[in-house]
Amino acid sequence: MKEKIAVLMGGRSLEREVSLRSGERVFGALTELGYRAIALDVTSELVDTLRRERPDAVYIALHGRFGEDGTVQEALEFLGIPYTGPGVVASLLAWDKSLSKRLMAAAGVPTPPWVTFTADAFKEMGAAGALDLVPAAVGGFPVVVKPTKQGSALGLTRVADAEALPEALLSALSYGDAALVEKWVDGRELAVSVLDGPDGPAVLPAVEMVAKSGLFDFRAMYTRGETEYYCPARLTPDVTAEVERLAARCHALLGCRDVSRVDMVVDGDGHPWVLEVNTSPGMTETSLLPMAGEAAGLDFKNLVDRLTLAALTRGM
Amino acid sequence: MRKAGSAMGSARVIFDRWDGRYAAAMADVRSSAVRDLFAAASRPDVISLSGGMPDVRRVPHEAVSRAVREALKHDGPAALQYGSSEGRYPLRSTIVGLMAETGVRLSEDDLIVTSGAQQGLDLLAKVFLDPGDTVICEGPTYVGALQAFSVYRPRIEWIETDEHGMRVDLLEETLRRLGPQGAKFIYTIPNFQNPAGVTLTPDRRRRLLELAREYDIPVVEDDPYGRLRYEGGHVLPLRALDADVIYLGTFSKIFAPGLRLGWMAAPRPILAKVLLAKQGADLCGSSFAQSVAEHYMKGTAWRRVLADLTKTYHERRDAMLAALVEHFPADVTWTHPEGGFFVWVTLPAHLDTRPLLAEAVEHGVTFVPGSDFYPDGSGRNSLRLAFCYEEPARIEEGVRRIAEVLEDKLALYRAFVTAGALPVVPGGQRQEVRA
Repeated sequence: MKEKIAVLMGGRSLEREVSLRSGERVFGALTELGYRAIALDVTSELVDTLRRERPDAVYIALHGRFGEDGTVQEALEFLGIPYTGPGVVASLLAWDKSLSKRLMAAAGVPTPPWVTFTADAFKEMGAAGALDLVPAAVGGFPVVVKPTKQGSALGLTRVADAEALPEALLSALSYGDAALVEKWVDGRELAVSVLDGPDGPAVLPAVEMVAKSGLFDFRAMYTRGETEYYCPARLTPDVTAEVERLAARCHALLGCRDVSRVDMVVDGDGHPWVLEVNTSPGMTETSLLPMAGEAAGLDFKNLVDRLTLAALTRGM
Repeated sequence: MRKAGSAMGSARVIFDRWDGRYAAAMADVRSSAVRDLFAAASRPDVISLSGGMPDVRRVPHEAVSRAVREALKHDGPAALQYGSSEGRYPLRSTIVGLMAETGVRLSEDDLIVTSGAQQGLDLLAKVFLDPGDTVICEGPTYVGALQAFSVYRPRIEWIETDEHGMRVDLLEETLRRLGPQGAKFIYTIPNFQNPAGVTLTPDRRRRLLELAREYDIPVVEDDPYGRLRYEGGHVLPLRALDADVIYLGTFSKIFAPGLRLGWMAAPRPILAKVLLAKQGADLCGSSFAQSVAEHYMKGTAWRRVLADLTKTYHERRDAMLAALVEHFPADVTWTHPEGGFFVWVTLPAHLDTRPLLAEAVEHGVTFVPGSDFYPDGSGRNSLRLAFCYEEPARIEEGVRRIAEVLEDKLALYRAFVTAGALPVVPGGQRQEVRA
């Protein structure tokens, strides 16, 4: 019998249901692979259960707050249990889109122009009076407004004009203490997964998403038939090469390990723009990392095995 | 969702191995993500302003014991045997008496006993709805009704509600669009509505019935809270004004929900169909529970218990309304229920109460986000508070804790208004407008 692996899933994040779907698939794959897998929800009993069960490694199938923001990673390091995916710092950097965009911009990675507003800037400093400056700062409308720290596009709105901007900010700030107003880039939406291997990070074929509604939001992501996928993405060899270079660059820039998924848009002129980096990519039936894995000849089971082995080998 | 639940005392997840083999109709029936959050957060120190549970702690055990003893003594074997599908005759007589007190004249053959009013909702959906049929309800409306209907896969049209209940002018617009017999039924909770706490005015009741007649659509009147009135005069039920109305009543609020006893009064052809459906569901309701209720409802002791319950809920409602005035910010509005269990709170448009629930739980209080009460997820800037279960001091503390959570988001809203970035909407209220 192989090692004992605890799959962490669920939790109280708004992406709980998605995480349970990811977790169940991962659990199934681990069981088939012969691991002694146990499935754990993130409840107040979690630490106690982990200490009792003493798994050899933890597979993190959590999305959103606590799972993707470094919290659970920190706890596992404290408990001395190796885990899959990026560490605390990379998680923190990727989780805060404002922070990761700053890093990208400073490193010369193209990311759409943006401004960040904290709730405090509005409440304490009268920032709402300066919203007229937004179009000039980001290069005009339309823009996307989203919470800086939230997964699965929750609280995200596409805004066509200045009038709708405050409302969109208000709803994004219902989900967190800061929001990002980012220039909307029209083009092909891509998810580019990076997987660490023996020879360093390998970029998997890019997945292209075409949402029927025109916006790849929560509904489009998790409802079958709401989105069409192309893998590999319909790109010229030059653009493909650039997209892959940028994905690998972002993976390294944020200090990711094992896996990351870099979301991009390729505009009409063929220029890729990086939107964000995900450190705990979805593993559901409609998720993008498994799709990219399949395209690279790495089926779901092998993908899970590879990530698990990375954690086991790394140890603490 | 796939997760069946987690094991007690452990973080272990139990999967549903049968996923993928359920009927397609079940795909539309989901447990709310929000409810899962509650499950993860049910700690004793959390003040629950979310659940609409009657305070059965105030129903004297001695009165119930006596009813149980008398049920066995007088009805013996019959109370332990299968009974008639329509329910025990003596209990139906009791119900005829209860209905007469509210102004509805019925005979025992005009009604059947159901397993709570909830079963009535399921049976009506079962006998009336084919997939794709239209049902009209209030927005917001009772979650349990949405759940009961959704298994039969209807299209749900909701009609906006204000402080006087369903907006019958908007109902008329919808009916005009749908045409005669354009919906299978109109579902309404006219008294102290769950979740909005509002009561349909007599004028609107008359207009609703006129429209239902004109467009030839049955009306389903769900009246669980009718007897829990704390102020104002009795308003005649729709069924008192029109014998074609299908009326759902319950013993849950006047006795106890644990007995699972309700009733449905309807035109006899409809009752005949519902009875067939009921036989498939459970053959007959619990003879024992029915017999116990008969004996409990004899004499006048139950009226004293109900009076005590009503007084208790009245105090709690007053405590909640006072706490809302004391703690809630000015740009939040709420309804003033004349009875029932619930207050409906509306925040300025664009604030979303769903993510606020997690924060509220951290502050030690729960509410239900408004979007749970709409079939299409509308009503994001609203929430429901229940005052029925907690003691006044805990209600006040719970409201104070929610106010803390809201204050943070409202400060933000005000900053936008102050800067002129958002218009000032009177009372912060901007009802959802239907497309």
